[in-house]
Amino acid sequence: MNLIDIRNLSIKLQTSTKPIFAVDRVNLTMKEGEVRGLVGESGSGKSLLAQAIVGVLDEKWAVDADRFHWRGNDLMRLSAEERKAIISKDVAMIFQEPMACLDPTTTIGEQLEEAVDVEQLTGYFWQKRQQRKLAAINLLHKVGIKQHEVCVKSFPHQLTDALCQRVMIAMALARRPMLLIADEPTAAMESTNQGQIFRLLASLNQLKNMSILLISHDLENVTHWTNTITVMYSGQFVEAGTTEQIFNQPYHPYTRALVDSSPKANRMIPNKSRLMTLPGSIPTLQHLPIGCRLGPRCPRAQQKCVHAPKIKNFHSHQVSCHFPLKDNYS
Amino acid sequence: MLIFTLRRFSLFFFTLLLLTMLSFSLSFLFPGEQLINLTGQISASPEQLAILADEYQQQSGLLGQYVSYLKHLFQGDMGYSMTSHLPISTEVLNRLPATVELASVALLVAMFVGIPVGFCAAIYHRKAADNLILTIAMIGYSIPVFWLGILAILVFSIQLGWFPSSGQISLLFEIKHITGLQLIDILLSDSPYKWQAFQDATRHLILPVIVVALAPATIFMRLARSAMLEVLDTHYIKAAKAKGLTFSQIIYRHAMRNAIIKVIRDIGLQFANLITIAMVTEVIFSWPGIGSWLIESIYQRDYTAIQGGLIVLSSFIFIVHIIIDLVYAALNPLAREPRHGT
Repeated sequence: MNLIDIRNLSIKLQTSTKPIFAVDRVNLTMKEGEVRGLVGESGSGKSLLAQAIVGVLDEKWAVDADRFHWRGNDLMRLSAEERKAIISKDVAMIFQEPMACLDPTTTIGEQLEEAVDVEQLTGYFWQKRQQRKLAAINLLHKVGIKQHEVCVKSFPHQLTDALCQRVMIAMALARRPMLLIADEPTAAMESTNQGQIFRLLASLNQLKNMSILLISHDLENVTHWTNTITVMYSGQFVEAGTTEQIFNQPYHPYTRALVDSSPKANRMIPNKSRLMTLPGSIPTLQHLPIGCRLGPRCPRAQQKCVHAPKIKNFHSHQVSCHFPLKDNYS
Repeated sequence: MLIFTLRRFSLFFFTLLLLTMLSFSLSFLFPGEQLINLTGQISASPEQLAILADEYQQQSGLLGQYVSYLKHLFQGDMGYSMTSHLPISTEVLNRLPATVELASVALLVAMFVGIPVGFCAAIYHRKAADNLILTIAMIGYSIPVFWLGILAILVFSIQLGWFPSSGQISLLFEIKHITGLQLIDILLSDSPYKWQAFQDATRHLILPVIVVALAPATIFMRLARSAMLEVLDTHYIKAAKAKGLTFSQIIYRHAMRNAIIKVIRDIGLQFANLITIAMVTEVIFSWPGIGSWLIESIYQRDYTAIQGGLIVLSSFIFIVHIIIDLVYAALNPLAREPRHGT
């Protein structure tokens, strides 16, 4: 059974003239225990999609989907409160800039304790306080923080970014979620710390069978840690498949460009030669092209591209393009 | 925290130094003899004046004169009032507690009304409640205080007769002067009519407090509203939502504390404003405070009193400022630590 199954999810920004589709009919499916990468440039709507799943978007955004199933339950049919109850029980999210995501005036310990699930506590109310403390310390141990005494008493600004992200992961683990959404968890972090955080996420996935949706703009890095990858561009679905399919045989011109644009140390590049890039930049929300939004930048674009392509499926490798690069590989 | 406190006190010290310089230079700038302006002895004989000139080291340079002025200040000698011929320090000690009482009660009322109402406005942002509160805040802030005071007397004490129109307490009650703060003195006294006196003093307090508190309360409303909106927009509130906390948990545990910290910073600034309003209100309600005394002294060209009142009032404002700064540091862990370049 699919853990999460989203079909044609759109996120609209209500403006005075006409609504802007910041995310336009995106599909996303995840199985239990899967690590899926969600890749795209900044501004491609990855974070919006994640926040829409968790339900923490502001009122100015309107979310709409043909299908939004969570472990077989149709969430679109439930009321907002019921949806929030199910989601907050089973889905946790960690954000970029972990330090900004912790309350600056409350100690780490207090913030951890309030994340602890009440249902996991047993005994009378005078015992619960102690149990909460213990649970908080256990959570810190789970994410590899050994000096829990110092950590519990400190304020967020006294810890490093990587430690704060570990604390955020500890809080996310408090409710024993089925799915952890990690929204660029290592942005603005040093590479040694990045490795630590990714290894921690990978071990959580292996030991606890927790599914992880890893959002990143760095395709190359994501391939080390994921089973499957979904690529987005400017709020549209581009391509989805296993990591090998995406990285080795991309069918979509955009994914091709994304793979090619990451420089590799073992490939000989002549001095002062141009690196492979797509011309132009990602369109702003006010000036979205019609049809396939990659159109103006796409090297293979033709007249047909002014209509949005239908998703084609090649052995569970989905691609949304009129002219996929399928024939290039034989 | 210790370093933070020491820093505040060094700031206090230097500000007071500047204030005494200003007040000292005022004695030169006011018309008339400088020595008489400084001491307030208008009817002194030439012999007495010679003694005074010796005391204030008139023969030495400006610096020497200033140092001897400071010496007198630290001994509590601010000269004599030119009109009542009483020592300024006695006058101030008699008058200041009434102002402290009025101003602090008004500040508390303004805080306890303004801040929660502002938070409500932010929580119901862009709804009817928010617009209503903003409108009230705008109107309340625009009403001139002297007009409001007179109107309050006209309606509530003359037409409706609910509250007395002037004074601090009815003349029937005889309360011994211990701390000077009327309400505390009443509680300390052993008069059999203690509770009647207390009620009467409270009834006297209500109208002036409301008049003084109105403008600061509306400012606090707007400050609290914008602080709360800012906090509700931060990442940690979004993260708390994703953590599964309910809206009220988020407001009470995270949003309120962070918003209050932002507001408290500005309360100190508003206190000077509040004292100005209190001075005008004291005149309207014949409140025996230092504000009405100071305004009276200005009318009567009592230069010595103006200098003394200036120092006392501004150091009072400054002390309150420091107390609020310390409260701010106690609430905000970020402010406690010395700032380095990050």
